Amino acid sequence: MKNNKIAIGLLALALAGCGANTADTADAGGAGWKPRGNVTMIVPFGAGGGSDIAGRAMAGAIEKSTTPKVNISVENREGGSGAVGYSFLLSKKGDGNRLLATESALLTLPAAGNVTFTYKDFTPIMKIAEDGSLMVVPKASPYKTCAELVDAAKKARVPVGVAAAFGIDNFTFKMIEKSEGVEFQRVPTESGGELTTALLGNQIQAALLNPGEVVGQLRSGDLRALCATTDKRYEYPELKDIATAKEQGIDVSYANFRGILAPGGIPAEAKAYWIKAAQNLLKSPEYDKYVKDNYLQPVQAEGDQFTTTLEQLNQQITSVK
Amino acid sequence: MIDNLVLGFQTALTPTNLLWCFVGVLLGTIIGLLPGLGSTTGVAVLLPLTLTFEPVTALIMLAGIYYGSQYGGTITSVLISTPGEAASVVTTFDGYQMARNGRAGAALSIAAIGSFVAAIFSLLLLVVLAPPFAQFAINFGPPENLAVMILGLATIVSFSGESKLKGLSMATAGILLACVGSDAASGVARYTFGQVDLLGGIPFVQVMIGLFAVGEVLYQIKQGAVAPLRARFRDLMITRAELARSRGAIARGSVIGFVLGCLPGAGSTLASFMAYGIEKRVSKHSDEFGKGAIEGVASPESANNAAANANFVPTLALGIPGGGTTAVLLGAFTVYGIQPGPLLFKEQPDLVWGLLASFFIGNVLLLVLNLPLAPLFAQLLRIPYGYMYPLILLTSFVGAYSIDNNMFSVWLVFVFGVVGYLLKRLDLPMAPLVLGLVIGPLFEKALVQTSAQGDGDLTFIFQRPLALVILAIAAALIAVPALLRRRRKQLERVAH
Repeated sequence: MKNNKIAIGLLALALAGCGANTADTADAGGAGWKPRGNVTMIVPFGAGGGSDIAGRAMAGAIEKSTTPKVNISVENREGGSGAVGYSFLLSKKGDGNRLLATESALLTLPAAGNVTFTYKDFTPIMKIAEDGSLMVVPKASPYKTCAELVDAAKKARVPVGVAAAFGIDNFTFKMIEKSEGVEFQRVPTESGGELTTALLGNQIQAALLNPGEVVGQLRSGDLRALCATTDKRYEYPELKDIATAKEQGIDVSYANFRGILAPGGIPAEAKAYWIKAAQNLLKSPEYDKYVKDNYLQPVQAEGDQFTTTLEQLNQQITSVK
Repeated sequence: MIDNLVLGFQTALTPTNLLWCFVGVLLGTIIGLLPGLGSTTGVAVLLPLTLTFEPVTALIMLAGIYYGSQYGGTITSVLISTPGEAASVVTTFDGYQMARNGRAGAALSIAAIGSFVAAIFSLLLLVVLAPPFAQFAINFGPPENLAVMILGLATIVSFSGESKLKGLSMATAGILLACVGSDAASGVARYTFGQVDLLGGIPFVQVMIGLFAVGEVLYQIKQGAVAPLRARFRDLMITRAELARSRGAIARGSVIGFVLGCLPGAGSTLASFMAYGIEKRVSKHSDEFGKGAIEGVASPESANNAAANANFVPTLALGIPGGGTTAVLLGAFTVYGIQPGPLLFKEQPDLVWGLLASFFIGNVLLLVLNLPLAPLFAQLLRIPYGYMYPLILLTSFVGAYSIDNNMFSVWLVFVFGVVGYLLKRLDLPMAPLVLGLVIGPLFEKALVQTSAQGDGDLTFIFQRPLALVILAIAAALIAVPALLRRRRKQLERVAH
């Protein structure tokens, strides 16, 4: 009762029936730098969300695929749509023992102006996958394509749901609005689960959701997908028939990314070490399972390439803010 | 239906599943005990350890943690006024007073019994009527939610204690506190003074740990050496009269909890507040509320358990999370390669029915676990307070830190501990403050959504019959007791 973490740790140990931690004694891959003691993977959102699942999957896969084994504990630091977690990482400049499970909030929070950081304050390690969005409508919706939805918004008020004011779905709607010269009425909610509920109850006319969030409702026919706002079509059999927005004449594509971020100003060796660890992660069976289970696209970018990707995405986002 | 249940029990009663069901509810009880550590975090943290299990076994255990924590949260609420779970805050109002009166055993017993009855009631509804209730839940849009929040605000009068003015002032203070953080519609930062930690708003769990646990400790220290309670073992058992008094409260709490629990997002915390508020309005012993009325424990405890189970209605029938913990459980389905959604009942009957059957078994286990332990736990109060309060303070601060690994939470608990102490000294009721803080953000969100849906025209709410019915209930809740009182006075005057 005195210490929750110890309590949970004991529970976990008792449950798993295992205990021994591997001490990190040997040299790591000859790079010279290795993390000392425990490493933390910060998840800037609450337990159970997409970021949490990603953070835990990445931490688990790195633990398993790195020799000598590094112990990575996952820490949820939620609040302010991710602002609290990212700001914490910002304060850990130069600390090679911290990682963060990153996604588009890294770009949308600075664009909204409530925080003091930008993506340039951190060290991008690896983009491990893309998590695109589908434009989803209720079963009974009159619209068959995203083009029809946009046309409807030109003539009348079309209420659409967004998961958060700083959410990437809101920015994607802004991109569609700018490209097509329309305006959608926003109904703000707090999560993809709430959006799905609102769609099922015909409270809103459309919403942008990740495939993993709605594939169950799509398969049962309770919801329909009009288009994917990705660059190319999905290859998953359940999703391959969904046309892209571009195919329907709407020149918008944005892919939310999932990846690993380290604090700014870490030693070059530390950066190299984590890139190497992330490369091993990508080869692990846990990674394949994570990607498949969540209907992600295994599009990757490491280190400086990831920085370039962030630059491009940031331009897309700031152009509509 | 019966076939399905038989199938379910066949799955749930295998030795392995039975064992893990027990482990789950036991872990849940412990997690519920610890302030700060909620069932959502508990399930998320333990999820990776179940990866090697059969999916149904893993889900049985994880779900056990969830509803087990609803039982555990009560124990510390009653004994040391430290709610282990958000849904157990209301239990401190009367549960802790009962403990001070030497009736801790009875309070814990009625909580266990109420929780059990509510759980079985809501499980039966879940088994028989999940699809229609799920339909009801999704037809519940922003205007209906707004009406429910207005109903919630209307119950504030119940929480006010002797002075309505004090109660309403405190509720307003709570709603004002709820305004801190980024705005629901535009994300603009309000009253954060550039503090990143405040962007997410003032978190309710930290406030309640501060107000109730730390505030109480400070107050007791001020009082000087408190004599340990000399409760005889006989006094720790629940009496027949107390059981009889609680019957109505448990029934009403179960229904309110189930209905609110079906609605995605409303959750068991709100259910416990609403049940308590309504119970106080309708109870014959309403003047005893806040001073150790057993109905004041029975009703919120039944409501939060019914709500926890009802949360599975949208989760299983539609594949949309009913609350935070069921969201994590939905994630767990995916990890085991099961696609949650409306087809779940059809495609995975043995899994769904096995899980549902395990809920019945788990709740029986919890009752068997909790009833004999109630008098035993109550013995803890024999420990002199001087030894207890360092432990309470430690648990509170460590618990606060563990919520989000942030020192800011610890400071919040400290600040609200002092606030709680001052409020007690000034004899200002804390319950309306907490209710304001809980309902404030939900009310604002519903208001913003209704406004967006109705294109800024709030008369939109009058086109929704269900919303109107709920608003009428809210109006009745405020007006009827006042009218009755006036009528009684008139009659008395006539009689004179």
